Amino acid sequence: MGSREAILAKIKSNKPEPLSLPQIDAGIFEEGLDIIKEFTKKVEIVGGNVLQASSNEDVINQIKSIIPNTAINYSTLENTQDFNTLDLATVKNPKDLEDLDILILESNLGVAENGAVWVSDNELPIRVLPFITKHLVLVLSSEDIVPYMHQAYEKKQNQSSGFGVFISGPSKTADIEQSLVIGAHGALSLTVFIK
Amino acid sequence: MSHAKLASVFNKDEKRVDWHDKALWFVRHKRDKAAHTVKGWEDLRNLGHGIKAHMLTNIDKYLIEFEENAKNNGVQVHWAANGEEHNKIVHSIIKENNAKKVVKSKSMLTEECHLNPYLEKDGIEVIDTDLGERIVQLAKEPPSHIVLPAIHKNRFEVDELFQEHLGTKPANGDPQYLTNEARKHLRKKFIEADVAITGVNFAIAETGEFVVCTNEGNADMGAHLAPVHIACMGIEKVIPKREHLGVFLRLLARSATGQPVTTYSSHFKKPSAGKKMHIVIVDNGRSEQLSRPDFRASLHCIRCGACMNTCPIYRRSGGHSYDYTIPGPIGSILSPGKDLKKYSTLPFASTLCGSCSDVCPVKIDIHTQLYKWRQIITKETPQPFVKKQSMKVMGKIFSKPSQFETVGKVARWSLRNLPKSVINSKPNVWGKARDLPIGPKQSFDEWYNNRNNNKKD
Repeated sequence: MGSREAILAKIKSNKPEPLSLPQIDAGIFEEGLDIIKEFTKKVEIVGGNVLQASSNEDVINQIKSIIPNTAINYSTLENTQDFNTLDLATVKNPKDLEDLDILILESNLGVAENGAVWVSDNELPIRVLPFITKHLVLVLSSEDIVPYMHQAYEKKQNQSSGFGVFISGPSKTADIEQSLVIGAHGALSLTVFIK
Repeated sequence: MSHAKLASVFNKDEKRVDWHDKALWFVRHKRDKAAHTVKGWEDLRNLGHGIKAHMLTNIDKYLIEFEENAKNNGVQVHWAANGEEHNKIVHSIIKENNAKKVVKSKSMLTEECHLNPYLEKDGIEVIDTDLGERIVQLAKEPPSHIVLPAIHKNRFEVDELFQEHLGTKPANGDPQYLTNEARKHLRKKFIEADVAITGVNFAIAETGEFVVCTNEGNADMGAHLAPVHIACMGIEKVIPKREHLGVFLRLLARSATGQPVTTYSSHFKKPSAGKKMHIVIVDNGRSEQLSRPDFRASLHCIRCGACMNTCPIYRRSGGHSYDYTIPGPIGSILSPGKDLKKYSTLPFASTLCGSCSDVCPVKIDIHTQLYKWRQIITKETPQPFVKKQSMKVMGKIFSKPSQFETVGKVARWSLRNLPKSVINSKPNVWGKARDLPIGPKQSFDEWYNNRNNNKKD
């Protein structure tokens, strides 16, 4: 505990005079976005795909035709058990998910300005799922897309999950000579369905 | 070694310097495009500045609040006064868990504390998992940029490194192939790891959670697979409320790479069942910097790297010329606070053009601070004889207009008439690697007076 007290004491004697905390007025950023259009554009810019779906069944059918012949699939959508080739109850260690081909998750928050989609412990049976899967599919309702990050945090103000992540596009890197390569350590592709 | 000397090493390969310069300017350009599409961008920067400035006035209170909430979330919190203590804490957590294999995602703090060699000394394997960091780790070099750690390396060098260390096939530097090979190599490391270490981009006092931003997904692959997650943060990473993330996440990636947000913005609050989560809060000179009114705003930094991408000196001298964990303009105002003598040349590695301050997402007055460090450094550290004397002479010349005019005339005549070998002789550092312009016949004063006289006629 020695260092804790020493650090806090040093900060106390060195910190500047009080300054007030600025208030965020999200209204100043409003520009009347066409939310669905902007969201779609941003997901595409960051390397993902946006598709429309009428039902969960429709999502499954479309995905099967886009990414055919996969061995290991898992979906958390209602009434899609037939799609699942994996029983999470048998997964003892998250490492056993290494060969997962397709993961389909539901989300209740998307952000138009950056194409980010929120998933948290509430939607995630195992945290590593959306990162370890080869192909990630996220499904959300058009009503759940907000314009900016400010509204996103407003909506999630009281969320109490232990882990949550904004995902914007598939994983990527440009660490070799600044050439963009899609598919670093996380998902190789991202498809977002708007219901 | 001085910045100028180390820069001259980088400058030996002119082609590389040109590429480096252009590549970073391109990133700066992408930043502009991203920033200009955000309505109220300047308001957003003001908010970022204001929230950080307020945080510094209450940082002790927010750290205590953060600690309490993190503990309630089931996270163990540790405090380290310096790099040495930080390393000891991380080492002891690893030992407690009988761990041998560590995967690490990008953390400038652990670089600053030299964590890797400390752990490796005890036979612990530490793998940097960000692709750029893995490249420089294999090359046994430090990162040269905080966001693009291997920006100084070309694709052929990466190809060779991977052939040597990962056993890849010669691929003529194909980034797609090399990235894919790195993915396979590091996937194995993620699966085997006993402990994952990450940095922290933002720590939220209100909730005790912390946010880590990556594009590759390496922080998450490490943290969710290994049974133990250690997150290391400097004291200045704390922010008061969750809603403030709305401001900082809008600013960070746009300023860094021109992306609207990083691919993953992960919010870690509680460890998942059966796993452990630790946070190490590190001072290592930050509370000292807090005591300096002129320089404390350097603690606002959110590590986006925009000041490096825009800096005409950084782009042409390379990150290694700074010889400090954080290079570029921001590193040049942080480092003298750590060791005034060792880093005394860094605040001079600037044209004071102010571009760094203009792009800074949290509005740090970087170029003003560079100027202020110069004032302190020239007083407190010995300056080269030639520089000291020439400054004295210049001071005298500038103080008398008539003298200035005469010297100007001589200088203009000399630039027109003396041979290059004399003009570019050694004492004239301005003639190093460049030709000076031909001296005009008139001074500005003469030209201006003539023009006014002609007008009257």
